Amino acid sequence: MAELDGVQAEPAIEGRGLSRSYGGVHALNDASMSAVAGEVHALVGENGAGKSTLIKILGGRTRADTGTVSVGGREVKFAGPDAAHRLGVWTVFQELTLLPWMSVAENLMIGREPRSRLGLIDRRGMERRAEDTLAALGAEHIDPLALVEDIPLSQRQTVEIVRAISYEPDILFLDEPTSSLVEREVVWLFGQIRRLRDRGTALVFTSHRWNEIRDIADRITVFRSGRNVGTFKELPEDDAVTLMTGRRLEALYPQRPPPPPAVPALALKSYNARGVRDVSLELRKGEILGLGGLAGHGHRELFFSLFGAEKMIAGTVEVGGKAVRIRNPREAMRHGIALVPEDRKTEGLLLAMSVRDNATLAVLRRLARFSILRHVRERQLAQGLIDRLRVRTPGLSNPVGALSGGNQQKVLLGRWLLAEPNIFLLYDVTRGVDVATKHEIYELIMRLAKEGRAIMLYSSDAEELAHLSHRVLVMREGRIAAELSGAELDAEIIVSAAVRDRIAT
Amino acid sequence: MASSAEPVMPGPETPVPTGQDAPLLLRLLGSPTRRRILYALLASIVLFAIGQAVRPGFASPSGIRAVLTIASFVGLVAAGQTFVILIGGIDLSVPWVLNGASILMVTSSLGSNARAIPALLLTLGMGTLVGMLNGAGIVLLGVPAVVMTLAMNGIMEGLTLGFSGGMTCAACGSYAPPVVQAAVHDSLFGIPTALLLWLVVIVLVSVVLSMTTFGRRTYAIGNSPRASFLAGVDVTTCTIGLYALSGLFSALAGIVLVGYGGQAALGMGDPYLFQSIAAVVIGGASILGGRGNYIGSAAGAISLVTLVSVLMAMNMPEYGRSIIYGVIILVLLLLYGREDAER
Amino acid sequence: MPKLSSRPPCVIELPPEPRAVSDNRRPRWVHRLAQEAGLFLAATMLGIAVILYCVVFLIAQRHLPGGFELTSTVNSTLPLVLAAVAQTLVVLTRGIDLSVGGVIDLTNGLAAITLDGSAWGHAGQPGTGSIGTMILGSLLVLAVGGVCGLINGLLVTLGRLQPILVTLATLSIFQGIAIRVLPQPGGAVPQGYTNLLANPNWPTSVLWLVALAVMWWMFRRTRFGVGVYAIGNDAAGAAAIGVPVASVRILAYVLGGVCSGAAGLFLAATATAGDATAGNTYTLTSIVAAVLGGVSLFGGRGSGIGAIFGAFVSSMIVNILFFAHIDPLYQSFYEGVFLIAAVVLVGGIGHLLRRRY
Ligand SMILES: Nc1ncnc2c1ncn2[C@@H]1O[C@H](COP(=O)(O)OP(=O)(O)OP(=O)(O)O)[C@@H](O)[C@H]1O
Ligand SMILES: [Mg+2]
Repeated sequence: MAELDGVQAEPAIEGRGLSRSYGGVHALNDASMSAVAGEVHALVGENGAGKSTLIKILGGRTRADTGTVSVGGREVKFAGPDAAHRLGVWTVFQELTLLPWMSVAENLMIGREPRSRLGLIDRRGMERRAEDTLAALGAEHIDPLALVEDIPLSQRQTVEIVRAISYEPDILFLDEPTSSLVEREVVWLFGQIRRLRDRGTALVFTSHRWNEIRDIADRITVFRSGRNVGTFKELPEDDAVTLMTGRRLEALYPQRPPPPPAVPALALKSYNARGVRDVSLELRKGEILGLGGLAGHGHRELFFSLFGAEKMIAGTVEVGGKAVRIRNPREAMRHGIALVPEDRKTEGLLLAMSVRDNATLAVLRRLARFSILRHVRERQLAQGLIDRLRVRTPGLSNPVGALSGGNQQKVLLGRWLLAEPNIFLLYDVTRGVDVATKHEIYELIMRLAKEGRAIMLYSSDAEELAHLSHRVLVMREGRIAAELSGAELDAEIIVSAAVRDRIAT
Repeated sequence: MASSAEPVMPGPETPVPTGQDAPLLLRLLGSPTRRRILYALLASIVLFAIGQAVRPGFASPSGIRAVLTIASFVGLVAAGQTFVILIGGIDLSVPWVLNGASILMVTSSLGSNARAIPALLLTLGMGTLVGMLNGAGIVLLGVPAVVMTLAMNGIMEGLTLGFSGGMTCAACGSYAPPVVQAAVHDSLFGIPTALLLWLVVIVLVSVVLSMTTFGRRTYAIGNSPRASFLAGVDVTTCTIGLYALSGLFSALAGIVLVGYGGQAALGMGDPYLFQSIAAVVIGGASILGGRGNYIGSAAGAISLVTLVSVLMAMNMPEYGRSIIYGVIILVLLLLYGREDAER
Repeated sequence: MPKLSSRPPCVIELPPEPRAVSDNRRPRWVHRLAQEAGLFLAATMLGIAVILYCVVFLIAQRHLPGGFELTSTVNSTLPLVLAAVAQTLVVLTRGIDLSVGGVIDLTNGLAAITLDGSAWGHAGQPGTGSIGTMILGSLLVLAVGGVCGLINGLLVTLGRLQPILVTLATLSIFQGIAIRVLPQPGGAVPQGYTNLLANPNWPTSVLWLVALAVMWWMFRRTRFGVGVYAIGNDAAGAAAIGVPVASVRILAYVLGGVCSGAAGLFLAATATAGDATAGNTYTLTSIVAAVLGGVSLFGGRGSGIGAIFGAFVSSMIVNILFFAHIDPLYQSFYEGVFLIAAVVLVGGIGHLLRRRY
C-alpha cells in the first residue's frame, strides 16, 4: 500500500473541502481530490460514499454547500455544466442524460449541429456528422438514426461516452461508465481512455469492478462516508475493500452449493417470443442457471416474456411440471416467478415513493386485511428487510430515489425476496453495486439456491456468471448457442461462445 | 449471512440523520404537502377576515356555513378528480356527468319520496358506469385521458340534451324529492348535512388513499405505470376503478346540487370542471401524477370558494373579479406552491 | 492474502460482433415512420375524415365539395390551428397552457378595436382602418399575445410553479382584461383586413396555413426548437448537455403566446368583429387538437404539423355532422363518438404498423 503524499504535477482540476448535504444526509463531507493531466484517476468507494456527488460538483451539475473547485490552478464557480464545458471539463454522469425520444444523432450533435446556408440545422448533415463521429471513435455499430429509447442500455451508455469524448476534453469524468457496458465495449472504452490519457487528458473514473480499476488506474482515491480516506498509486483489492467498508472480505464469490437433483422448476420447449427463437431449456429447483451472451441477444425479451410483460409467440412453458400460460406479471407472480428488471429507474423502482412503499409493493395483498394495510406489520417487514440486506437509508419513509445506486438495487431485490417466489429471473442484478454488496447479493443467491429456489441469472459480467452458475447457456441472436458446465464455466469461454460457435479449449 | 464477511475494523457509525438540522418551523409543518394544506387553510382564514371587513356578517357562523356548503360541492367533484389526477389522468367529463346526473335524478324520481332511493341508485350507477367507460377507453383502447373524457363529456351532453329534448320534457321541471332536499338543507348538531356528507367523504377518501392497498397502488401507478405493472399491480382494473370513482363523485355532486337548488338546469355542471381541477392542484397534487392527497384538494376547494365568495361580496364589476381572482391565486401560489429548486 | 478475483481481466481478440436482435439498421424512411408515428397517424386520420366528409357532402349536396368549401373550412379552422400550435409549443416543454383561451379572448377583443384605429381615436368610418392602423394593430395584438406568454413563462420558470396552476390563474386574469377591453361583443374589423387573412372568396387562408407549416419546419431546425424538444424529453438531461433550459422554456411560452395572439387576430378577421369570450372554448379544443395530432402531454414528442392535422380533424368532424343532418341536440354526442372512434381507429392502425416492422 503505497500512499502518496503531495502531488507531483499541477492538478488540472481540484476540489477542496467540498461538502454537500441533502436534507440532513451528508453526501459529501469535507472531501478533496485532484486529478493531473495525463493520468487516469480512479475513485472508489461503497455505494453512497459520495463519488457521484463529488463528480457532479466538479462537473458543474450540482453546487457544493462549502468548498472550492479550481481548474488549472484558478478557482471557478460553475453556474452549470455548460460553464464547465467551456473550460474543457466534460462528464459522463452515472444517470444517463440522453434525451430518450430524440435520435442518437441529435443527442450527439446537440448544441453543435451543422447549419445550412439559411442558418437552419442541416439534419442530413447532422446525421452524417454523427455517423462519422461514431465511426471515428469505433462505435460504428450504433445507428445514428435510431431513437435513444429504442437502443439497448449498453449502446446508450456508449453514445453518452462518445458524446463526451468527441469534445476532446481536457478533463473527463466517467461515473461508472462500465456498469452497463458489455465486455467488448469495456475493451473499447479502455482503448479510448488510454488514447485520451496519452494525449494529456486528466481522467477521473469510477467503477465497482476491481479488475477494471487495476487495469486502467494510475492513481486510486478511496472514498468512505463522504470523505476521501487516501490516494494511492498501488492498492491491492483486499486493502481497498477494507478501506472502503471497514471490513475485511475473504472472497468475493462464495462457495456454490452442489448441483441439485434434476427436479424441474421451469421448462421451456421451443419457446418463441419477439427476439427469442426456439429456446428450449430446463431450470431445476435449487439451480443457478446463468445466461450469457452479448446484450441485445434476446435475454431481456426471454425474461420479460416469461414474466408475462411481453407476448410469448409460441412454445410451451411448464412451471413445476405443469403447463401454464402467463399473460401478465400478476399471473407470473401467482406461479411463483419473480423478475428483477434491467433498468431499476424506469422498470423497477418508484423513485419518488418511500423505501417502504417500494419494498412491499409486490406483497401488498399479504399485508392487508380487508384491503386495509396493516401499517405496523408493513413497517416491520420493510425494516426487517432493510436490516437484513443492510440498505443504507436515513429511514423507511425516505424516497428511494435519494438512495445511492447500490442501495436502490438492494431495495428492488428485497421487494422480490419478500414475495418469496420459487423462480427468480435476475437481470444483471449487480450492475452498479459495490464489492461488499455484490458479495452480499451473491451470498443471497446461493442461499436462495440452497433453499431449493430456482434462479435464472443474466449478467453482463462473464466472470460473475462463471463463478455463480451451475450451468451457463449462451444466447446469440435469440437462440441458445452453447451450453457450458463443469470446467467450461470460465469467463473467457463464455465470452467467446457469445460471439462464435463452440470453441475448443 | 454466511461468515465470510466478518468485521475486522470498527467502521464509523453510519449517521442516521433525522432531519434534526432542518429549521424548527419546517419540522413542525412536516412534509411539503402538509405545509401546502396548512397554507391553503390559512389563506381561507385570511380571506374570511377580508370578507368580514368588506361585508360584515361574511364570517358569521351562517356565512361560513354557506361558503363551506358551496365548497363541499366543489369538494365532492374534486374527490373524483383527485383519484384520476393521482395517476396522471384527468376527468374532463365532469360537467355533463354532473348535469346529466342531476337531470336523471329529478326525472326518475319525479319529486316523490317513494322513488328517491331507486332514483339515487340509478343516478349513482349511471355516474359509475360512465366513469368505467372512461377508464376502459383509456387503458383498454389507449385513448389519451384528455380526449377520452372530453369526448365522454360531449357524449353525455348529447344524450342529456337529446333525452330531455333540450330540457323541454315534462319530467324535466320536476323537483328533487323532498327527502333529498331536506337531507341537503337540514343540519345535525348545527352542521349542515351537506357538510357532514363531505366530512364523511373526506375521511373515507383519505383512508382509501393512505391506508388501503388500492390507495397504495394508485400512487404507484401515478409514479410509474411501467414499474407498477412489473411489480404485479393490476394497472387496468385500478385505472378503470379510479375513473369509475370519479364518475360516481360527479353524479353524487349532481344529486347534492339538485337537492340544494331544488331543480335541475342545463349548464349547472360547467363551473365545476376548472374549479375541481384547480382545487386538486392548489391542494398540492402534481398534474403529472403520483403526488397529492384529498385533504389537500379539500383545503384547495375551501380556499378557492372562499376567494370567489369574497370577490362576490365586494362590489365590483365582473372583469375586476376575474382579474383579482387570478392574481390572488398567483400570489398564494408564489407564497407556498413553489417547487423545490434543483441543483 | 486470498485473492478476490483469480484471473487477469479477459482481454481477448474478438471476431466481429454478430448482429444483435435489436440493432439491425433500418432504412431512413422506417425510422422516420417510427419516430413521427403520431404525425403520420394524424395525417391518416385527417385523410379518413376528409373522405368521409366528401361522401356525406356528396349525398347531401349531390356534388363534391370544391374550392368554396375548402376556403371556408380553412378560414374557420385557422384560429384553432394556431391555438393548437400554441398549445403544442408549451406542451412540448412538458407544460400545459390553459390560458390559451384567455389570450385569444384578449387579443380578439383588442383586434376589434385596434385594427380600424378606433382605439387610438382614429376618426373614420368604423370598419375602415388604414393600412397603417392595420399593421400597427396586428403588431400590437401579437405583442400582447407574446407578453401574455412571457408572463406565463416567467411565472413557470422563475416562480417554479406548475404550468397548469400558473395558466389557470392567468386564464382568469386575461379573461378579465379582455372583458375590460371589449365589454360587449362588437368593434369592427376592416373589410380589407378580413380579405387579407380570411378571404371568403379566395383561399388566402391556405397561404397562411402553408406559411405556418413552413415556419414550424424552420423552428424544428433551430437550436431553440431542438431545445424545446430537449426540455420535454428530460429537463435535467438537457441542462447537463448545456441547453439553457430557463430561457428556452420562457421563449417557448412567449412564442406560444404570439401564436395565440395570431389566433385571436384570425378569429376577429373571420367574424369581422370581436368578442371577449369567443376564445374560451379554445383552451380545451387546442389541447384535443394537439393530442389528436400526436403530441404527447408528457412532453418531448409530437409536432406542430401534427397539431395542425389534429385541428382539421376536429373541424372535419363538425362538418361531417353538419351535412349528415344530425339532430342538433345530439350534435355533441356524435362529436364525442367520432372523436373516440377516430383515435381508436388510428391507434389500431398504428399498432398494426408497429407489429409489422
Ligand atoms: N438528489 C439527492 N437527494 C437526496 N439524497 C441524495 C441525492 N443525491 C445523493 N444523495 C445521497 O448522498 C449520498 C451519496 O450519494 P452518491 O450518489 O454520491 O454515492 P455514490 O458514491 O456515487 O454511490 P454509488 O456507487 O451507488 O453510485 C447517498 O447517501 C445518497 O442517498
Ligand atoms: Mg454514484
